[in-house]
Amino acid sequence: MFDPSMVPTPDPNPLPAPYWVFKLLLVVTFALHILAMNCMLGGAVLALLARWRQKGNQFGTRIFFDVAKKVPVLVAATISLGIAPLLFVQVLYGQYFYTSSILVAWPWFLVLLFLVFAYYGFYFVSYKGERRPRAAGRVMLFSTTLILLIGFIYTNNLTLSQVPANWAQKYFSSTSGWGLNLSEPTLVPRYLHFMTAAVAVGGLYLVLLAWTKWKQDEEYARAIFQLGGKAFLYATMTQVVIGFWFLFSLPKALRMVFMGGDPLATSLLCFGLVAALVSIFMMSAALKKGNIRLAAVGVTSITALIVLAMSVMRELLRMAYLKPYYNPQQFAVQTQWSPFLIFLVLFVAGGAFWFVMLKRYGLFSGTKSVQ
Amino acid sequence: MNYPVWDVAFGAGLLMALVAGLHVFVSHFAVGGGLFLVLTERKARRNKDSQLLTWLKFHTRFFVLLTVVFGAVSGVGIWFTIGLISPTATSNLIHIFVWGWAIEWVFFFLEITAALLYLYGWDKLEPSLHEWFGWVYFIAAFASMVVINGIITFMLTPGHWIENHQFWSGFFNPTYAPSLLFRIFISLALAGIYALITASVQKDAEVKKRIVRWGALWTVPSLLLLPVFAGWYIRAIPHDLWASARGAMPTGTHFALLACMLLAGTFLLALISLIRPTRLHLAFALLLAVVAFGAMDSFEFVRESVRKPYVIENYLYANSVYAASMPGDGGFTVDNINTAGVLKTARWVENRDLTQANQIAAGHEIFRVECESCHTPNGYRGIHQYIVKRQWDRDKLHAMLGVLFLMHNNVMPPFAGTDAELNALTAYLGSLQPMNPPADLHPDGRAVFEQNCSMCHQARAGDHLFTNMPKDPQTAVSALGSLPAMFPIMPDLKLSEDERRALVQWVDTQRPLLAAQGGN
Repeated sequence: MFDPSMVPTPDPNPLPAPYWVFKLLLVVTFALHILAMNCMLGGAVLALLARWRQKGNQFGTRIFFDVAKKVPVLVAATISLGIAPLLFVQVLYGQYFYTSSILVAWPWFLVLLFLVFAYYGFYFVSYKGERRPRAAGRVMLFSTTLILLIGFIYTNNLTLSQVPANWAQKYFSSTSGWGLNLSEPTLVPRYLHFMTAAVAVGGLYLVLLAWTKWKQDEEYARAIFQLGGKAFLYATMTQVVIGFWFLFSLPKALRMVFMGGDPLATSLLCFGLVAALVSIFMMSAALKKGNIRLAAVGVTSITALIVLAMSVMRELLRMAYLKPYYNPQQFAVQTQWSPFLIFLVLFVAGGAFWFVMLKRYGLFSGTKSVQ
Repeated sequence: MNYPVWDVAFGAGLLMALVAGLHVFVSHFAVGGGLFLVLTERKARRNKDSQLLTWLKFHTRFFVLLTVVFGAVSGVGIWFTIGLISPTATSNLIHIFVWGWAIEWVFFFLEITAALLYLYGWDKLEPSLHEWFGWVYFIAAFASMVVINGIITFMLTPGHWIENHQFWSGFFNPTYAPSLLFRIFISLALAGIYALITASVQKDAEVKKRIVRWGALWTVPSLLLLPVFAGWYIRAIPHDLWASARGAMPTGTHFALLACMLLAGTFLLALISLIRPTRLHLAFALLLAVVAFGAMDSFEFVRESVRKPYVIENYLYANSVYAASMPGDGGFTVDNINTAGVLKTARWVENRDLTQANQIAAGHEIFRVECESCHTPNGYRGIHQYIVKRQWDRDKLHAMLGVLFLMHNNVMPPFAGTDAELNALTAYLGSLQPMNPPADLHPDGRAVFEQNCSMCHQARAGDHLFTNMPKDPQTAVSALGSLPAMFPIMPDLKLSEDERRALVQWVDTQRPLLAAQGGN
């Protein structure tokens, strides 16, 4: 029997800025995090794919190493960009997030170990891989599998955090924290939804990589473009099916939010669907014509918008799930103006400075050579 | 109490100590090591020392693989772990300092980017630009320490925040400055210590010598300065809290002693490395690192020990009960729980009502919500061991649970709950180790003291037991038989007459010794 009074009370401290500020920061930083994660995981999966199907494909190993060498940096980006949504989700949804984390505590804790091993594995491939190509393939597979497991644990925790009605039964059957949320009907489609997106965005990442290599070695760049473009194409086509599976796995009341119940949620879903179809046609045309610019600029722009829309939808879905328990008005707000402004200034200046660093490094304008 | 409790068989506290302990040892290196990288690069370039540069390139890779990978993941790991073990404290710290965390995140993001560009830039960038990335890295890493230091010190000395709840009052709290300086010098010392690890595997003896000497220049002066800042730090901690590390609390005292010894050990080993720098072996460098790790973690243990019974001093007890009631406390205050009962207040318990049949089950649930944030039944800080060591029977256990808040310089939170709940907790703890000690006809006075008094009293000059106990043995023996009547705060120990007599005799033998100590 679920007792709604079991949902923990938030702590007594007021929000140090209006509610919508945190909502905005959560959605935007989550979108950035998920983009980095997609490039990292999708990149790793496609690197492995390139290696496995290298028969008749002269560039397989080269693509494998070129992409694999980028993966550690993408892991760093994923972690760095993940800290912000981890912070803001605790600001707004701490009582749900902590509770579900405790119920799946060991798997949640194992994320850290998996991540450290995966990360060092990626670095091994990056630094030692070319000298030990056989080991490199295995280690890459190992690390990628760990990342896939981390994604699965995340989906378990986050789905559980949205359904307080399932908590008590889980906790009182065992307090050891070894459980997962396997009985959740949306678990598998939701997980696959995220992982398929990673392959699609990873494909786009390869397209962008191909674009930067176009002038140096067009033949090689075309091979990367073909691999990345097709990965995007097939993954996005699969995604349409998985997306509907996910939608129909939701409890009816929640599904209806996206099917007319809430105008914003419905429009975003329609936009996402149409944009996905447009991106499929656009990528298909780009591949046929060998027009990498269309793929790199056109499809990437559309995909960025889709990811942002999906991040908002994810938030709307969480709100719908938590509606019986969660009310934004429950927060007292007492804005801490000076630290808030310092953050805003640093956030903007830090972002600008970040681009300055990349520019000075020569990422946008060729390389500055050693004398 | 507000949240479910994760049952970690070997102790959640130990897991926390492991994650945090490893993280701080790497994260401080991430700060000092950053400055070390740029200054060493500049020195090598000025002296046109290409061998040193080659080593530094190798050292950079070691640095990045350790700080960017392990440092970053274990830093996130602290968040994961405290959220699992102390969700209420985490939630409070998040809400009080959201903008502090967010600012720290901006610096962290720049720090990681700069570290990677510095690493990958070794073969790519002009020297001045490469050094520029090194400086960016160091400044960002240092800035993130400047921010995080405010939040860590807040937990020990929240200062005026307790009254005004202002961000800056909590941030720039009484231990902010000494802690920051203390940590800066730890960081610089660690930069030199870690340098020895990569130096030790250098084949060229001359290069090795140069690095070892250069590393010692970072380690030795920093270690010499540490006690100065430690002294300042200690003076900024309220005196009664610091007493926990000066004998009143075993854990705090042991770790304080260990910190001093290991710090001295680090210093000595650093000096020894200078004797034959050309022959520095990896095993020696690792030993030095391990000793330094022990010193640093002991210091962090002391910091956490003297903070007890609080996780945020004077605000939130380690077991997530608020020290005073306030709007939004959810009823999780000692006063409220004493009235309403812990089983009725806690959210995550099954036995809402106490019956004769569920004493032990309910007691276990009370243990879980009130004690398990620090203790386990049988593992880390296991209650079972305490009971066995002190030979407590159920009555004594019950009496002791009633005066938890007096123990070891008040480092335990009070038991919160009704009398019936205290009985249930006693029943559960008693079930861990049924005790029926045989009546000892000739009890040992010292043992009686250790088992019954030493939780609150210490054999030292000025302790009330030794100064206030009546000088006349017979009066003292009968006084000990009716302690609660004379001092309502004292537990009813129900000592037998033989035990009381032995205790009085032993106390009398100690008095001259203690008086001599006090006189000195």
